[in-house]
Amino acid sequence: MNKAWQNLEHADSNTVFQEPFDAVEQREKLVQGGHLHWVHYLVVGLSLLLTLGAWHYSKQQVLQKVQQQFDREAEQTIELIKERMALYENALWGGVSLIDSNQGEVSYQQWSAYAKSLHIEKTYPGINGIGVISYATPRQLPALLQTIRQSRPGYQIFPEHNKNEFWPIVYIEPEQLNHKAVGLDMAFERNRYAAVIKARDTGTAQLTGPITLVQDAKQTPGFLFYTPFYQQGKKPETVEARRQYIKGATYAPFIMRKLMQGTLAAHKRHVAVHISDNSHELYHDKQTDPKPMFKKQVTVPMYGRQWRFDIRSNLSFRQAVDSQQPNFILAGGLIIDGLLLGLFILLSRANRTALSYADKMTSDLEIKTRNLEKSNRDLEEFSYVASHDLKSPLNAIKQLVGWLEEDCSEFIPDSSRGHLKLLKQRSERMMTLLNDLLAYARIGSLVYEREEINLRELSADIFTFLDAPGEFSCTAPDVKLKIARTPFDFVMRNLISNAIKHHDKGRGKITITYRQKMGFHQIRVQDDGPGIPPALHKKAMEMFQTLKPRDQVEGSGMGLAMVNKFAEHQGGSIIIDSDGGRGTGIILLWPIENTTT
Amino acid sequence: MQSHGEEVTLFLVEDDDIDAMAIERSLRKQKIANPLLRAYDGAQALEMLRDGTVAKPYTILLDIQMPRMNGLEFLTELRKDEALADSVVFILTTSEAEQDIVQSYYHHVAGYFVKNEAGANFCNCICMLDSYWKIVHAPV
Repeated sequence: MNKAWQNLEHADSNTVFQEPFDAVEQREKLVQGGHLHWVHYLVVGLSLLLTLGAWHYSKQQVLQKVQQQFDREAEQTIELIKERMALYENALWGGVSLIDSNQGEVSYQQWSAYAKSLHIEKTYPGINGIGVISYATPRQLPALLQTIRQSRPGYQIFPEHNKNEFWPIVYIEPEQLNHKAVGLDMAFERNRYAAVIKARDTGTAQLTGPITLVQDAKQTPGFLFYTPFYQQGKKPETVEARRQYIKGATYAPFIMRKLMQGTLAAHKRHVAVHISDNSHELYHDKQTDPKPMFKKQVTVPMYGRQWRFDIRSNLSFRQAVDSQQPNFILAGGLIIDGLLLGLFILLSRANRTALSYADKMTSDLEIKTRNLEKSNRDLEEFSYVASHDLKSPLNAIKQLVGWLEEDCSEFIPDSSRGHLKLLKQRSERMMTLLNDLLAYARIGSLVYEREEINLRELSADIFTFLDAPGEFSCTAPDVKLKIARTPFDFVMRNLISNAIKHHDKGRGKITITYRQKMGFHQIRVQDDGPGIPPALHKKAMEMFQTLKPRDQVEGSGMGLAMVNKFAEHQGGSIIIDSDGGRGTGIILLWPIENTTT
Repeated sequence: MQSHGEEVTLFLVEDDDIDAMAIERSLRKQKIANPLLRAYDGAQALEMLRDGTVAKPYTILLDIQMPRMNGLEFLTELRKDEALADSVVFILTTSEAEQDIVQSYYHHVAGYFVKNEAGANFCNCICMLDSYWKIVHAPV
């Protein structure tokens, strides 16, 4: 309380409440913390960017993975078909070898046995059969027919054509599937004819362009695969020699869909394959994805033909790409960002709350301070007014009594003179009360500088000034203290004067001792007077309390109260140390450090 | 009483009759016959000074706590008024307040007396005034 007054006394009159600098700084920090700053936004933004980046990257990864998978599958599909074709080629070359070993001849039984040994249905799924085509010039044709008709009576070559050579199918196994092809002349149709000629001229296996097999009831695209053989098992090196020695070709008819089924059925494909030869469609899968994610077009040389593979991903790829991983990453990241933002907002809100709380406290404090200031001012005003308005009539009364005494001393009876004396005494007592009350009220409204004092000198000065009876003595140690002189002087004056005033004998000894204890000056003023019973210690410290009738010992009862208030205001205290026997010790504790600012 | 050949008027500005009576008594006691004039507050005192009721040379004995215009306000007005600014003023008041003393001397008073111990103190004060007039040269 006193401290507050003091602060007020010394507060800058323009500011109601001067906050210390660090408080202002702290408040500034809180204000700063009460908003989201660019740093927060930056963090959230960066984290959002990171999230999106991770999402994008993982999407790319998935896409890339799937793309690779698609590429692999496409590759695999093509490789599979190539591999198959190589297998069929081998089977055909096997046939050629058989014929070569037979000096260019082969009987139906031999061919049939060879074909059976191949286990076409199992080993070569997709192949429709395996057969032999013989070559004949018009001149050679009758001999050929005759030879064939020995084992196949009624064998006919068809259809008719105007070419100058014949390439009739002689055998085809298994026959029940392919009986329609027996006797078919390759020369009748451009595709079949061109490929067989090319096989003859190159001495290599050749494919025809897309055709429709005569034995295919469904009339779907297919092709033929030829491997040429020459007379007496020759392998001529030149085109002329090949043309000269050509004997025929082993061949295999393919229905494309069967080939694909056979080739790829076991393999669960995620790609749709479309195969065309010179823009004639050979094969197409059912397309499951109307908008394929991946496409690939590869042209593969296939035994003299250019097969164009158009491979597209189907739905399973889309499903693979629709993998939830990137979305999980995105969702997780966004949740974390949200939490981060939330955390920042929460923090800033907490700061704002703290700030508003602090501001509220500050304003409460300011209101309190203002009220304090007001009450302080009121009190000052009161003491000012009281000092004048209460003292004036008192002064007047005293004066009038004085004048009555002066002017009427001869006329008034002795009793009245006594009354006048009493009147004067009581007025004086009231004056003392008033002065002490005002002094009490003023304690703490001032700040005192600390000065160097000497305890012995100070005590001696006070003692002398008090004009004590000659039988009294006062001793004090020779110590130097740095202390707020004015209040200390007041306190010591009161304590010493009390020791003298309340002494029950005409003579006495006042002993002042000094020691330092726990950051306090400890000064003891000991007398050898009547002492104060412990029950009355508290009362002795109260305002307007005297332990003796005032008419015996004149006093306002404010002395010790003021001493106590002064000591407390300085951060110290006083203790009465007396058992009610002889002597009273008043112990004064006074902080060494200047606790009041 | 002569002040270098001039009778100095004592101009008492005081609202309290008893205090005024005390001054009069002291003057009588000290056998000081200087003319005594009285105003009841600052406003009246200014009027009397301005309309010449109070003739120079004079010394003002001023109370602080008065109705209408208090002593300090009166002093402010007095020092502003060119004709009156050189007046010699003594404060005679019950107020012991530091601020009153400081303010008074700020307005160039010649002295500040506290009338707490009446009677004796008044006598001292009056004796001082008497000596003052005898010794001090005042502006005329």
